[in-house]
Amino acid sequence: MASLELINIQKTYGATAVLDDVSLRMEPREFVAFLGPSGSGKSTLLRIIAGLETLDSGEVRLEGRPIQQLAPGDRGVAMVFQHYALYPHMTVWENMAFGLRNARMPKDEIASRIAEAARVLEIEEHLDKKPGQMSGGQRQRVAIGRAIVKQPKLFLLDEPLSNLDAALRMRTRLELAQLRHRVDAAVIMVTHDQAEAMTLADRIVVIHDHKIQQAGPPMEIYSRPANSFVARFVGSPAMTLAPVQLLPAESPFASVRLGDGSEVETRVPRSGLPAEGALELGLRPESVRVAPAGAASTVARVELVERLGDRTFVYARLSDGLSITAEDEGNSRVRMGETVGLRIDGTDAHLFAPDGAGYHAAPAA
Amino acid sequence: MSLGAWIGVGIGAAIMAAPLLWTLLLSLKANAELMRDSGAAFSAPYTLENYRSILQGSSLVQWLLNSVIVSGGTTLGVLTLCSLAGYAFARLEFPFRRTLFAFVLLGLAIPEQAVILPQHQLFAQLGLHNSYPGLILPGLVGPFGVFFMTQYFKAIPKELDEAAMLDGASRFTLFWKVLLPLTLPAQATLGVFTFLASWNSYWWPLISATRSEMFTLTVGLASAQMNYAQTSGLGFLMAQAVFASLPILIVYIIFQKQIVRAMAGASVR
Amino acid sequence: MSIGGRRAQLEGLAFVAPFLLLYAVILIYPLVAGVVISFHRADLFGARTFVGLENYGRLIGDPVFHQALINTFKLTILIVPPLTAITLVLALALNKRSRSAAFFRGLFFSSSVLSVTIVTLIWRFILTPDAGLVAEVLEAVGREPIPFLSDPDLTIPALAVTTVWWSLGLPMMLFLAGLQQIPEEIYEAAALDRAGRWTTFWRVTLPSLRRTMLLVIMLQTAAQLQLFGQAQLLTAGGPSGASRPVVLLIYEMSFARWELGYATAAAEVLFMLVLTVTLIQYMTASRRWEG
Repeated sequence: MASLELINIQKTYGATAVLDDVSLRMEPREFVAFLGPSGSGKSTLLRIIAGLETLDSGEVRLEGRPIQQLAPGDRGVAMVFQHYALYPHMTVWENMAFGLRNARMPKDEIASRIAEAARVLEIEEHLDKKPGQMSGGQRQRVAIGRAIVKQPKLFLLDEPLSNLDAALRMRTRLELAQLRHRVDAAVIMVTHDQAEAMTLADRIVVIHDHKIQQAGPPMEIYSRPANSFVARFVGSPAMTLAPVQLLPAESPFASVRLGDGSEVETRVPRSGLPAEGALELGLRPESVRVAPAGAASTVARVELVERLGDRTFVYARLSDGLSITAEDEGNSRVRMGETVGLRIDGTDAHLFAPDGAGYHAAPAA
Repeated sequence: MSLGAWIGVGIGAAIMAAPLLWTLLLSLKANAELMRDSGAAFSAPYTLENYRSILQGSSLVQWLLNSVIVSGGTTLGVLTLCSLAGYAFARLEFPFRRTLFAFVLLGLAIPEQAVILPQHQLFAQLGLHNSYPGLILPGLVGPFGVFFMTQYFKAIPKELDEAAMLDGASRFTLFWKVLLPLTLPAQATLGVFTFLASWNSYWWPLISATRSEMFTLTVGLASAQMNYAQTSGLGFLMAQAVFASLPILIVYIIFQKQIVRAMAGASVR
Repeated sequence: MSIGGRRAQLEGLAFVAPFLLLYAVILIYPLVAGVVISFHRADLFGARTFVGLENYGRLIGDPVFHQALINTFKLTILIVPPLTAITLVLALALNKRSRSAAFFRGLFFSSSVLSVTIVTLIWRFILTPDAGLVAEVLEAVGREPIPFLSDPDLTIPALAVTTVWWSLGLPMMLFLAGLQQIPEEIYEAAALDRAGRWTTFWRVTLPSLRRTMLLVIMLQTAAQLQLFGQAQLLTAGGPSGASRPVVLLIYEMSFARWELGYATAAAEVLFMLVLTVTLIQYMTASRRWEG
């Protein structure tokens, strides 16, 4: 049986569409990340699942049972809020007990559930503190604990890492990864941070423009983006998209010409491509390398050099004015203002039709 | 602070404090001695005789009790009404919410003197004069508390409501166990402010409580003051003033922060 | 659905109903009833005859009302400017974190928590010529006592002094709050611009306090236009009305002369005055100030 099922969810605020015909099916114990820019509708979708927003039409099912008519507390879901939303006047213990007491759970059951959660989350010594006396990371764990003790069928995490500093974020990411192995429930996490989504999720659902753009495992989202939005949104630095011309050739794979005249041989099958209209070529930075004059396929003027230590990203401009991102060694000698040679490798290149649809190299056998 | 400023503040403080000290000194003198010359207040002997007379069956004790009942009742009433209304205006959707809130804000511009005569008529028709409800009710309708509590409820993050909804809390549990405890600082401020205003209110109890046993301390003291010529007990009169200001000065010293904040808040509204 | 259903709507109304009901009956109904009564010849015991604008016409020609209006304006002018100046100076001097500053702030605020009855009781025995503190001091230096509470030229100033003493607390606290809101950087910038203390005060501090100053002036004006208890208790409006403000006149009209309709008309006139001041305060407060 599926865990969560969303069937044709429709939501508008007045005349503005927020969610347009969204459907999704989650496997048991699956960890799904809703990834999208702000305003994409991903938070609204989460809140509809939680029961904090109404929907105009469609159905929400949890383990086969329609839940869209139920009050938030009766749905069998638990949520970790962006700002934790701990009750400031209650101790950690009371925070975790509040929901269980409202459900009229026996006292000893409440106590044992909290004790277990506190042990797992290592917050046992903080149970008598109030949230105001704790650090951000500790509060985060209390918020998770408050969700765990309810033993929900589905966890909802709303930007759970956005309020933590960089060091704590890495640690909490690890804890969230462990959490899902401890609990017998599915997890949905809303985030705008693709690294978070790539690390934690079994499946990423990219939401944009009130619709699901693509749903799939992280590497599929990365290497076979369904359309140019997903291609640009996932991956850092972003994929270069260049308008190109399709070259006539005998080969079963498409070859294209960039604006500056250089040509790229892709591994994208020619057969499926649309017959008409301008194509766009998608190049990840790792497909564009800085190369010596002999090995280069084109030249570009360097505008910015971003040194990460183990590698270097070079933001450059081709002779026709196209911005392109290339990769180089960690000890790259490239400097701003220079002209460098670039070798474009078409093996992993993507092509996008005028409607945005993506075409990719045939998967390796 | 420079020396000049210190001297200025010192002189100001002396002028400020002199009337208070003078009152205290007078209250500690025997009435007969003050009859001859009130200047006697500057020298011994001092006595607590006047205070003893107050405690031994003057009307002041009854008036004090009335003041406590009226101010306490008003404060409880205001806190209850304003918490309920403030929560609803801040958090609930209901028909005409904005219109009703604007209607309440309108009341901020209505001074006491614009309504007090018709109020007196109304309460006469209802037979409420010379009663505790009659003294309490007009103190419950000030719109400031509703405005104040609405603002405070609005400042509580909505995420807390949502967390409580996911925790299965009913509307009542949400209000009673989650939101209301968080408004305690506001309750303290509004409560102290209301208590003080009610304790010191003069005009309404003056016209509503016409029987001596229903006087509040403020009105009772006014009647004692006007009858001064007949009693000629200057020391006794001043002891009454000190006695009557003690409760409020104690409240002031304990809740200084809330009082200042409330008064400033009430005027900046 | 739990959100926004019909039941939730009724719940909302149920939460506001207790307050709104009392508010409508005890505040709004009397406000409207007052306007209606002012068009009647009415006494305290329920007799009513409609007379249209007659009460207002009488007010225009009534020298007693004129005198009360003039007294009210005199009191306002004698109270508001000195009160504003004194509390501004106090706030400037006491805007410190030290314990002594806190003590003095507490002292200057303390009179504000006293009721009008206690304040007048205290000041009666400061000012009265037969037993007051001032008389004692004058006697000690060999001067005659001054009849502050019965000389028609002195009663209004006496009421003004009493009121200023009573009212210091709130404006001082408002000025202190205003001073706290001036960002420290402005002073640092002024210091870098080599502004002296005097220049800093006139060019930085005072302009930054414009809003607070306006608030203080308008609040106090509205309050003093309604001055009542001090005059009733200290001078009884006398001698022969020389210190009777409008509210005291309204009180006497209704509870000594039982002319409720006429008193209400006077109250409506005063209400319009106070409302004007309040509206000026609202409008200027909600307007954005540059700087």
